[in-house]
Amino acid sequence: MNKPMILVVEDDAPIRNLITTTLRAHDYRYLTAANGEGAILEASSHNPEIMLLDLGLPDMDGVEVIRRVRTWSDLPIIVISARSEDADKIEALDAGADDYLTKPFSVEELLARLRVTQRRLAAQRPGGTVEAVFTNGRLRVDYAAGCAFLGEQELHLTPSEYKLLCLLSRNVGKVLTHTYITQQLWGRSWDNDVASLRVFMATLRKKLEQEPGSPQYIQTHIGIGYRMLRVE
Amino acid sequence: MSAGAGRTEPAVRGGRLTIFAGCAPGTGKTYAMLQAALRAQAAGVDVVTGTDGGRWPETRALAETLERLPGRAEAGELDLDAALERGPALLLVDDLGRHNGPACRHRKRSQDVEELLKAGVDVYATLNVTCIESLQDAVQSILGENLPDRVPDGVFDGAFQVVLADWDPSGLPARLEGRFTSAQLTALRELALRRCADRLARESRGEPEGYRAAEHILVCLSSAPSNARIIRTAGRMADAFHGALTALFVETGEFQHVSGADRARLEEHIRLARQLGASIETVYGDDIPYQIAEFARLSGVTKIVIGRSAVSRRTPWGKPVLTERLIALAPELDIHIIPDQGTLTAPRRPRPLAAFLAPPPLRDLAKSALLLAAATLTGFIFYYFGLTEANIITVYLLSVMLIAVVTKSSVCSFVASAGSVLIFNFLFTDPRFSLHAYDSSYPVTFLVMFLAALLTGSLATKLKSHAQRSAQLAWRTGVLFETNQSLQKAADAGEILAVAAGQLVKLFGRDVAVYEARQGALESPRIFPAGGQKGDYPWERRVAEWVLKNNRRAGAGTETFSEAPCLYLAVRAGDRVYGVIGLAAGDRPLEAFENSILLSILGECALALESRRNAREKEEAAVLAKNEQLRANLLRAISHDLRTPLTSISGNAGNLLSHGALFDEETKRQMYEDIYDDAMWLINLVENLLSVSRLEEGRMTLRLSTELMEEVVGEALRHVDRRSKDYHLTVESGPEYLLARIDARLIVQVLINLIDNAVKYTPPGSHITITLGRMGEQVRVSVADDGPGIPREMQQRVFDMFFTGANRIGDSRRSLGLGLALCKSIVSAHGGEISVADNKPHGAVFTFTVPSGEVELHE
Repeated sequence: MNKPMILVVEDDAPIRNLITTTLRAHDYRYLTAANGEGAILEASSHNPEIMLLDLGLPDMDGVEVIRRVRTWSDLPIIVISARSEDADKIEALDAGADDYLTKPFSVEELLARLRVTQRRLAAQRPGGTVEAVFTNGRLRVDYAAGCAFLGEQELHLTPSEYKLLCLLSRNVGKVLTHTYITQQLWGRSWDNDVASLRVFMATLRKKLEQEPGSPQYIQTHIGIGYRMLRVE
Repeated sequence: MSAGAGRTEPAVRGGRLTIFAGCAPGTGKTYAMLQAALRAQAAGVDVVTGTDGGRWPETRALAETLERLPGRAEAGELDLDAALERGPALLLVDDLGRHNGPACRHRKRSQDVEELLKAGVDVYATLNVTCIESLQDAVQSILGENLPDRVPDGVFDGAFQVVLADWDPSGLPARLEGRFTSAQLTALRELALRRCADRLARESRGEPEGYRAAEHILVCLSSAPSNARIIRTAGRMADAFHGALTALFVETGEFQHVSGADRARLEEHIRLARQLGASIETVYGDDIPYQIAEFARLSGVTKIVIGRSAVSRRTPWGKPVLTERLIALAPELDIHIIPDQGTLTAPRRPRPLAAFLAPPPLRDLAKSALLLAAATLTGFIFYYFGLTEANIITVYLLSVMLIAVVTKSSVCSFVASAGSVLIFNFLFTDPRFSLHAYDSSYPVTFLVMFLAALLTGSLATKLKSHAQRSAQLAWRTGVLFETNQSLQKAADAGEILAVAAGQLVKLFGRDVAVYEARQGALESPRIFPAGGQKGDYPWERRVAEWVLKNNRRAGAGTETFSEAPCLYLAVRAGDRVYGVIGLAAGDRPLEAFENSILLSILGECALALESRRNAREKEEAAVLAKNEQLRANLLRAISHDLRTPLTSISGNAGNLLSHGALFDEETKRQMYEDIYDDAMWLINLVENLLSVSRLEEGRMTLRLSTELMEEVVGEALRHVDRRSKDYHLTVESGPEYLLARIDARLIVQVLINLIDNAVKYTPPGSHITITLGRMGEQVRVSVADDGPGIPREMQQRVFDMFFTGANRIGDSRRSLGLGLALCKSIVSAHGGEISVADNKPHGAVFTFTVPSGEVELHE
């Protein structure tokens, strides 16, 4: 796999070193920026393929960086946040971030997130347009026919479950917040809708996953949302 | 009394009042004030004038050089709101004694000034000394007329400074010619000088507030026009003796029949007494001297001031006069009798006679006639059977007594007394059917019979009114008791106010509005309609806010916002106002009895609110102290226990840095692992500490949402100690989806702690089972292991903070004893319970419950 160019935006030098050391050890190419302005400059001039962005920057809020970058670029952004408050992550995700890491994070976790994003990039690249059929491991969603298969077997999904599956598969690799999902499904996001979403998710998983205890396709992010993983 | 008890002392806080006093119009007060203002302006003070300088050209010219108060100020009115909004450092006001027009908030200008001072504005004001309340009698005797504009003495005495614009009356300005005679002016000037000297003397003594209690002066209130004079005398006396002043109103049975004009005058007198710094009390009873003496004895009164009219009026039965009885009842009291000047009195009160002569209702007359007829019938029967006349007389006496009992008007019993004598004479004495009587002893019989009938009748009436009064008193006591009871049951401030409002509605049958005060602002009103349907009173928030700010009553029947349709009272204890209650004024003002019960209820209400507040404050202080204690313990424990892993991390890392080459791969690996493990331990500790601080900060910030328990457990399993892979971890849950109303982050922390504990305290290879289940309205989660278990005696204490089982288990790692204590706080914060029990055949089971959640699915 061709290793992508990664932009590391982090003001704290030891953490930046940790990340760059890890990246170097795994043969990634990288750029660094220590503040928001630098990040935007690097992103616009060197066209990196993935951005690792710390939310607490000295000159501007990380969420603001995401908003500015999103005005011209779709590059995947993985947010790194020391804040344990979920609200910040949700704000970043809703602003257009693709994934998040919470400090303290392990090196393994960082690498796993990068791999997920890479796979997503790889899957997107060939067509560039929305495919009529989505394939992910044994899962196959035929958007045109409006049905989904696991292996050769058709999944019997309720309309809500199918809509949910489509939403997740179209955003494979991306963490979708509860608010985003409920907005997309029902056009609103009340507390009851989030609770309903959990139940639909549970029923969908029961049909989709071999072992609902350790899910393969759909990952839960407590307090944040869900993500469909790219399965080899 | 709720509003204005005690002296008005406007200059105590906020702005300062400087009074430019003179003894008559045109003595140069305004000129002196404007001059002083110009000096102040030259010194850099922000001066605004609320007066155009008045009638005289000199002063007008001076006033024009100053900034004029913006806003409406037609016809000499002061625009209070404009003044408050402009908020100058110094405001000039003309004629402090003036009565305001109907468009103004306050009835008197002195009240405007008081509000300005409270708002921190310094005020220069002119004042005719003749307007001072306590000098009214002297002014009246000098000028022979009564001046309508009055200023309470408190305003004058409380002023920061009084500048007397004096001049020699011999060089009388031409403009005053004709208005006053020279003699009058001299007298007025003397009055003004003396009043200013009094003020100075008082100031130089600098009497402390508590000193007032040395003498206690009592003045009796009545609706007699001469009463005002007596009250003023008492006020001056209280001042002279530096004593406390109490105004007492004895409400008798007759008060029910008092006319509206008299009632209004009584109200006026109460207001006057209050202005003079008296506290107002009301007692009930027909025996006025006894009531006065009792009150005086109970409240430590030393001097009583009464008018002569009260002295000279004799009761019909020739009882000793009031003073004599008072002297007999309270021999230790000084009694001051004030002569009653006829000049002041309106026509002598015809009150008792008028009430007596008022035509009785037809019903009462009919009842009387019926009873007399029945007596006559009985008389005929007695006569027929030859019973003596004495028996017949007794029957008539009985009928008169019955009439007195069943009728309301005292005319009836009088008429019945006379009637019974006449009828008896006409029907039963020889010669019968004529008003003549042969026997010479009959006139005596008739007289005795008439007097006996009259006495019986009036005694019965009196008895009835006594019974009524005590019933009323008992009712009042009952109401207060009931109010007290329900106030104690009320759970929160809103409910306390609602209970009080409910009682007021029940008592007065008027609509009540309640504004609760919260952080110095009023909430939106809650209306308690009297008649079931909503009254359409324009509840005036403006007035209620004024009441809140000034801690005084306002609205209908008061001096402030008199045009408002409702009366607004503060619910207060001490200086703190807990809310404002608005009472629809209706078409009649509150009677003294109603007023006192209203104040009692508001007082009870305020007390309840205050005690609740105190209890809460105490609770908060206790919680705070507990948190402090907790924090101190935590810091101690942390600073001690953090050193160990930090030493290990820094030591190992240092070794690797400097002597990395010396170690073999195996040793290095061990060192890396130690660093990693200790760092992980620190991370876990930090997570727990964050949760603790969130819970213990006093703000229980649970972010509840409906979560699927399986997801929560899954999340927890991703974060448990990495050594857990040496254990057999299983999750058991039923087929149904378990939803719970929880703060997911915190419950995940609980699960992590429980699972980590199981890993920590059991040997590798043990089985750890997480079971999910439903138990009624709760979701039950248990974490069971098959390790050595926890001894019974320790099970009680494992949830205590800083308790650790480390000493018992040889290979255990360090622990802060924080994890389980945190679990307990989190679970209790959710309203659940956590417990530990023995597992079969060995091991421990930790079980906790959290509230289950519901969800509506819409496909």
